[in-house]
Amino acid sequence: MPLSTFILDVVRLALKSLGERRARALLTIIGISIGPFALVAMTGMVLGYSAYVTHQIEALGQNLIVVSPRQNFKLTNKDLDFMRSIPGVEDAEPFYMVHAKVRVGNEEKDVIVYATSIDLIFKAISGLKIEQGSKPSPSSVVEALVGHDIAYTSTGRQVHFVGDALTITIYKPKHGGGFEVKRVTVLISGILAKFGGAFFLSPDTSIYLNKNAGHTILGLNQWSGILILAKSSRYVPYIVKVLQKAYGNNIDIISFQGIARIVSSIAGAMNFIAFSTGLSAFAVAVAGVAATMITSVMERFREIGVMKALGFTDLQVLTMILAEGLMMSILGGVVGVSLGVAGAYALAARGFVIHGMMSTIVIKAPPKISAGLILRTLGITVAVGLVGSIFPAYKASKIPPAVALRYE
Amino acid sequence: MEEVIRLENVVKIYRTGGVVTYGLRGVNLVVYRGEFIAIMGPSGSGKSTLLNIVGLLDRPTKGRVLICGEDVSRMSSKKLAYFRNRKIGFVFQHFNLINRLTVLENIELPLVARGMPRKYRIELAKKALIMAGGDLSWLPKRPNQLSGGQQQRVAIARAIVGSPEIILADEPTGNLDRASAKIVMQTFLKLNRAGNTIVMVTHDPEVANCTQKIYVIRDGKIVAVEEPDPSRCVIETVK
Repeated sequence: MPLSTFILDVVRLALKSLGERRARALLTIIGISIGPFALVAMTGMVLGYSAYVTHQIEALGQNLIVVSPRQNFKLTNKDLDFMRSIPGVEDAEPFYMVHAKVRVGNEEKDVIVYATSIDLIFKAISGLKIEQGSKPSPSSVVEALVGHDIAYTSTGRQVHFVGDALTITIYKPKHGGGFEVKRVTVLISGILAKFGGAFFLSPDTSIYLNKNAGHTILGLNQWSGILILAKSSRYVPYIVKVLQKAYGNNIDIISFQGIARIVSSIAGAMNFIAFSTGLSAFAVAVAGVAATMITSVMERFREIGVMKALGFTDLQVLTMILAEGLMMSILGGVVGVSLGVAGAYALAARGFVIHGMMSTIVIKAPPKISAGLILRTLGITVAVGLVGSIFPAYKASKIPPAVALRYE
Repeated sequence: MEEVIRLENVVKIYRTGGVVTYGLRGVNLVVYRGEFIAIMGPSGSGKSTLLNIVGLLDRPTKGRVLICGEDVSRMSSKKLAYFRNRKIGFVFQHFNLINRLTVLENIELPLVARGMPRKYRIELAKKALIMAGGDLSWLPKRPNQLSGGQQQRVAIARAIVGSPEIILADEPTGNLDRASAKIVMQTFLKLNRAGNTIVMVTHDPEVANCTQKIYVIRDGKIVAVEEPDPSRCVIETVK
């Protein structure tokens, strides 16, 4: 028997059958669509945010390790030498860091001022580019390389230029708590190109000075920490292990690679939660399809008898009933996936707000909706149709034709 | 003459919750190619049971059923479906047309089961409708837009579209007025003259009198074979 002709006929008959019971079919399709909607919207959004955050962290340097002393511990040249001697370390440089504010047009922006080896910063953070000017000359303590958002207002108007003097209000922590406010003026030698994102250690709102400026300009007496650059990202776990062993609880170690891994695993967990939630909706859809199809089979008991009398085999009857469930699930899948994509974009457009101590960060990341996600979701939805319809279809196929024809 | 139906000592027993009911009690029947027979009897006599067994919708409890020389008593359900599709055409009292499908789609249903391409089906459906005394203008309509007589002619077209060996009609005029019954019987006679073998269950003597032989069934047994009186056929009595 030409199977393709029969399949086309089955699809046509299934659509006619669904068309006859429009309202019921529509409600079932809506019920089915909730699963793919939830799955695509939630998974797409979670994957989008996690990809964004991971990218941001990775962009900050897969080879970079930041070591900072805990209270009552001071890092010295001895420590710096030790760190430089760890196998796999390419370079290590101390840094001074302080929170500050600068006026950018009418806005007052929170910034972070670093005094360190600017060359090391450039080696660690790939993608960091100078838009105007140049790095501070090596011997200068007043020249500064400023982030893009320090030269430009939030509307994109440039207010600080290369050669301008920039006044920075520094908030220096005092012994015994509180802050000491200090004003310093630096000379802008260069402006960084927009780095993008403002999630963590944003170069866009940072000011970089040479290492010597930490003491002379910022007035800091001890290093805020040491930046370690590994030869390659594969050395990072080993270096972290050596540091932990050597310093125990005296230092905090931040490895961006490690953070990226943690974020990935959190994202994986969130993705699993999203997937599980979506599956619950699918479970409800299975029950909905089954209820609709059982009702449909009951209503068409006699009609199924007629079909069998006309020569339709059990398998053909089973296929026809299954096809109706499948059609509903395919339609529900297409509707759900479409709404899910739209929903993911709508939710992503709102952004994800993180309220911090110093500032509030809004992450706006496009959802990550891959062909794999869509195909997987459609596959699950089709499976929902099959699972929901298989029992009613089997029952229909086994209806004795003589009994069905007597049915009133 | 070639036998198309042979029933040998066919018994049908229904068991419902310990209650045993005899549908047929040893029926023997032979129908030859080109015959047009009627099966008459009161309600519950076993007419429909007999038709269901001949139509392969039900299996006998005992005995043998041969359709076109093949023993169908122990056939698989798949083979039975094949036989129903190729050898048998059904006409029911309540037409049993599917109202969500058009007349054309109803007629071509047996050919859908064969997997026949649509363009051939349409041709055959048109021929069958004309043969059944119908009008091609009905094809795009829904069955419930037609009168009872018209619907029965559509049902006849559906029964003959696959060129079956046997047409089985279960009270085909039972739901029709006399004028429509006359038209339907004219259609059956025309089909019989064209070579179709027809087995018709009825309790209407004026309909039975249009056939060539009347089998009377009572309590699950054929008790008499009567010669019809053509002058008392509905075609003659209804003017």
